[in-house]
Amino acid sequence: MTAQRIALRVAVVVTVVLLQVCLINRMRLPLGAPDLLVVVVVAFALIGGSQRGAVLGFLAGLTADVLPPTHHYAGELAFAYTVIGYLAGMLDAGEESSVLTIITVVAGASVGVVLLYAGLGDLLGNARITAGATLHALAGTVVYDVVLAPFVVPLVSAAARRLEPVGSR
Amino acid sequence: MRNARRARLVLTMLLLTAFTLITLDYRSGALGGVRKVASAVFGPIEDGINAVVQPIGSWFSGLGHLGTYKHENETLHRQVAKLQTQLRLNATEHQEYLQEQKLLHLAGLAQYTSVAARVTAYGGAFGFESTVAIDRGSDNGIQRNETVISGAGLVGRVVSVGPHTATVQLANDSEFTVGARLSTGTLAVASVTGEGRGEPMSLTLLENTVRLAVGQQLVTFSSGPGGPFVPEVPVGTITRVTPASGQVAQSASVRPFVNFSSLDVVAVVVHSPKTIPHDALLPKSPTPAPTVTVTVTATPGAPTTPPGTPTGTGTPADTSTNTATNRSRTP
Repeated sequence: MTAQRIALRVAVVVTVVLLQVCLINRMRLPLGAPDLLVVVVVAFALIGGSQRGAVLGFLAGLTADVLPPTHHYAGELAFAYTVIGYLAGMLDAGEESSVLTIITVVAGASVGVVLLYAGLGDLLGNARITAGATLHALAGTVVYDVVLAPFVVPLVSAAARRLEPVGSR
Repeated sequence: MRNARRARLVLTMLLLTAFTLITLDYRSGALGGVRKVASAVFGPIEDGINAVVQPIGSWFSGLGHLGTYKHENETLHRQVAKLQTQLRLNATEHQEYLQEQKLLHLAGLAQYTSVAARVTAYGGAFGFESTVAIDRGSDNGIQRNETVISGAGLVGRVVSVGPHTATVQLANDSEFTVGARLSTGTLAVASVTGEGRGEPMSLTLLENTVRLAVGQQLVTFSSGPGGPFVPEVPVGTITRVTPASGQVAQSASVRPFVNFSSLDVVAVVVHSPKTIPHDALLPKSPTPAPTVTVTVTATPGAPTTPPGTPTGTGTPADTSTNTATNRSRTP
């Protein structure tokens, strides 16, 4: 993977995280907030495969770990998104995914990323991780992500295809 | 097959890196530097985005709360009616309450040096975390662990600082705990902990001699100069006391004074007072404010000009006579 590609991915990921903290989290929607990052990671992984999915997931998580405001150990989100990127990439069929596939994968990825983060946080003694808080996080994240997925995933996939043709992998 | 093996290798390496980072940060907070760099780079970008999206975000936020507003409106109407009756019934008690409030405010505003800041970004981590970024940092004298307040009371504490940005852990974050005492003067110190977004805070009082009651107000308590929180900042009101019979500890729900979902401008207390204003609640005589000089500067020269200085006497004299005639005409 060339430096240029890495830079491109970092730019995408930073933009998404900035959108998340400056706009989405500000809205204070009922039930919670969508996690745009996991939708974007899934979109990339679905056309790029597990290796690219894992790398993008790592970059995404690390950015979300250090970009203010955060208050947890750096690496926690990186861990969760890496696993999700890798797993989503394994489903890469090399062709256009149907809306149903996209929704299913995004729903699964949202559940997975929240549970991974919660599990790791619990191991590290994070007092915020309780059963109630986890259920709350799951409900908000999954519902909104599923709503966003049919719009965001094709958009990101199309952009990614244009920027780096699949054949070059 | 080769691809799959390489992908697994990459995955393993990335996960190991993530674990290393977590371990470093957990053991020694070694990644504070990385955070500092990240906030130095991204802080100004967040400021810029905030300037653009703030109205949009507020609009969306309003949309999301439309139902709540309607309900809130009704509740408030009812509350106003109830309060008006109450006000007439116990006007003196209300007066006392207002004074207390004012003094608390004085304690906050007169003795603490603060830096005003705007909230630029909201943390999340899937909703587990309750943090915000503000547009002031170490360049403005802000340091870690400093208390953040708003006009209403305690907002939170600074947990990390960049040159132009700081991250504030809000008081409703589940990892937030502050020592607080009842504002009624009894020196019983309780600990108040956040319970997550939209939830009331919880209070634990390790004492049985003082009875907790609904409506009691809490202010922060500091164990001494250099403690993590500045004292006497209003925290919240007790809304529910959990009945505990025969137990040493008492617990209660606390509704914070600050509305954490609509923070805009906050203040970071950068210099706590040298002495704790323990008796800030007592009706101490306030320091006399400079009062007289103001009127003199308003009409410079007119009556006080020594004879022999002819310039500039025209207009002030005119205005003074004008006001005089106006005054005489009004009754």
